Amino acid sequence: MRHTALLWAKKLLIFLAGLLVLSLAVFCVSHAAPGDALTAYYGERTEKMTPDERAAAEIRLGLDKPLPVQYARWLSGALRGEFGISFMYKTDVLSLLRSRLGNTLILGGAGFALILVLAPLLGILCARFEGRWPDRFICRLGAVSGCIPEFWLSLLLIALFSVTLRLLPGSGAYCAGKSGELADRLEHLVLPLTVVVLSHLWYYAYLVRSRLLDEVRKDYVLLAKSTGLKPRSILFRHCLRNIMPSYLSLMAISVPHILGGTYIVEAVFSYPGLGALSYESARYKDYNLLMLLCLLSGAAVMLCSALAQAISRRLDPRMKGDFSLDGEVQNDG
Amino acid sequence: MPLLEVKNLSVSFDTPRGELQAVRDVSFSLGEGEILAIAGESGCGKSVLCKAITRLLPDTARIKGGSVTIDGLTLSSLPERKVQKLRGKLFSMVFQDAMSALNPSLSIGAQIAGAVRVHSPRMKRAAVRARVLELLGLVGIGRAADMYALYPHNLSGGQRQRVVTAVALASGPRLLFADEPTTALDAGLQTQILDLLRDIRQSLGTSTVLISHDLGAVARAADRVAVMYAGKIVEIGTAEDIFYDPRHPYTWSLLLSLPSRAERGRQLRAIAGTPPTLIDPPAGDAFAPRNPWALEIDYEQAPPMFRVTDTHSAATWLLDPRAPKITPPFGGEGHA
Repeated sequence: MRHTALLWAKKLLIFLAGLLVLSLAVFCVSHAAPGDALTAYYGERTEKMTPDERAAAEIRLGLDKPLPVQYARWLSGALRGEFGISFMYKTDVLSLLRSRLGNTLILGGAGFALILVLAPLLGILCARFEGRWPDRFICRLGAVSGCIPEFWLSLLLIALFSVTLRLLPGSGAYCAGKSGELADRLEHLVLPLTVVVLSHLWYYAYLVRSRLLDEVRKDYVLLAKSTGLKPRSILFRHCLRNIMPSYLSLMAISVPHILGGTYIVEAVFSYPGLGALSYESARYKDYNLLMLLCLLSGAAVMLCSALAQAISRRLDPRMKGDFSLDGEVQNDG
Repeated sequence: MPLLEVKNLSVSFDTPRGELQAVRDVSFSLGEGEILAIAGESGCGKSVLCKAITRLLPDTARIKGGSVTIDGLTLSSLPERKVQKLRGKLFSMVFQDAMSALNPSLSIGAQIAGAVRVHSPRMKRAAVRARVLELLGLVGIGRAADMYALYPHNLSGGQRQRVVTAVALASGPRLLFADEPTTALDAGLQTQILDLLRDIRQSLGTSTVLISHDLGAVARAADRVAVMYAGKIVEIGTAEDIFYDPRHPYTWSLLLSLPSRAERGRQLRAIAGTPPTLIDPPAGDAFAPRNPWALEIDYEQAPPMFRVTDTHSAATWLLDPRAPKITPPFGGEGHA
């Protein structure tokens, strides 16, 4: 339909404009930040360079031009799909990204999937036993573990499981030369994954709990109860169903949040993913790498919130077109 | 034997300020196929009474004493699991606000079907659908097949209340509790819903306890009326008894304040004062401070139920043989 096509075109345009604004902002901020970009490429040597050598180096890296020109050059490259080289790794940023993306997706994806499933389970458990010991126990545990910063929890787990008990590896994604072995990968994944899940799980479990508790106090629960339906059936058939649209759309918005949560964890566990890469690129002013990573994160945020919108539109009947009594669909536009 | 028998039922809420006695020593009975209205101001405990009978009270409430018997089963001594099996089949409930009493994200057909399946889990799909359409027809929703897939927000207030009634009737209960079913509706729809309750009684023989704060609305539907004040039933009788020969001063005040009795150009009559707090309720008759006909004894000792006729009794000292003769604003016979 012409109308839908126009709608999609508009969405796409907003998406691209968003990316453009984001790239401009990241460019300005990263160039305004203090520090010497040459260090990323030449390392310690930069400090001993003569002014002539410095100038030559800047010309080689394209850092001599005024900032607007630099941005224009980056943009024209980006539009052709060339995002430049990483100063630090001295390779094409795209191929660098490709080599690391998988690791982050494994860690973040597994973490996200676990949270997506575990949070409702915990929330349901709490709501089912509201105020009784399982609820109180889970809430207290959540309050405590939710307050522990990720990096400290990571260090704690490393100290316990890899230093003291020597059960699990404390860094990296695989042992040297074993990148293809599943068991080895999983072993390396356990600790970082635990941190990612523990640090986010409670927030979403609480959310499910409180939404469910709001829901079980509604009148329709009383009506369902007065027809003789079991409390458990009411919880699953009515209450859970009603909070699912908002839960799923929230989880969709949270994808970048949880993926972003892996960044600190990756840094502590020296896990070779995008998080560690972003941290390094921001710290050492690896402009091209930083720009690409920010664009990727920005795109993820925008796509996920569009996804969230689509989910709640699809699942919540009140968000669909308004049916009048004659069965005509009135489109709300 | 009456279908429903409530004896000396008392319900309290534990609040931070003390024990709130919402229902105090209430007894009444309801016969097969009868419609009993329980009328009273907001906060007089009529809704709590209803939820106490059906055991749908919140956790903060406590049934302090008394017994509830439905069809020979002493409900008040059954464990919750057994009561749950009776809900819907033996008795069911219709609620005040039909918008919030329906699940907003399920189609009305699915909601009624869900209620049908509670007590007939093995019913075939086609049979369930047929039953849902039958129920929709029963509660007066036309073009039932077209309405099946609509959601509560697609319906008008009156239609929603009809759907709630269909949900409550899904498993063919013998006893229906209707908790202010007309309060959220405008006047025209109120009479429609009250007529619906009468129609249902006519076609299914369902006994009904109708709860309302509107004595005028009650007159339309009820065979018998119980008037509640401050957690107690102060007068109970047939609709004729209550409307043509009321004996309790509170009933008089309620009838006098009905808008239909107002005279053109004069203010509506209201009952002076406010209902007492039910935390530490006053000794004696709770209505005494607002009662222009109050006697001294009303402030000291609560009146017992005095029998007026076989069907009619009221809790006021005015019915005591020793009471002074007064001219009541209603009824022609004076006092016994």
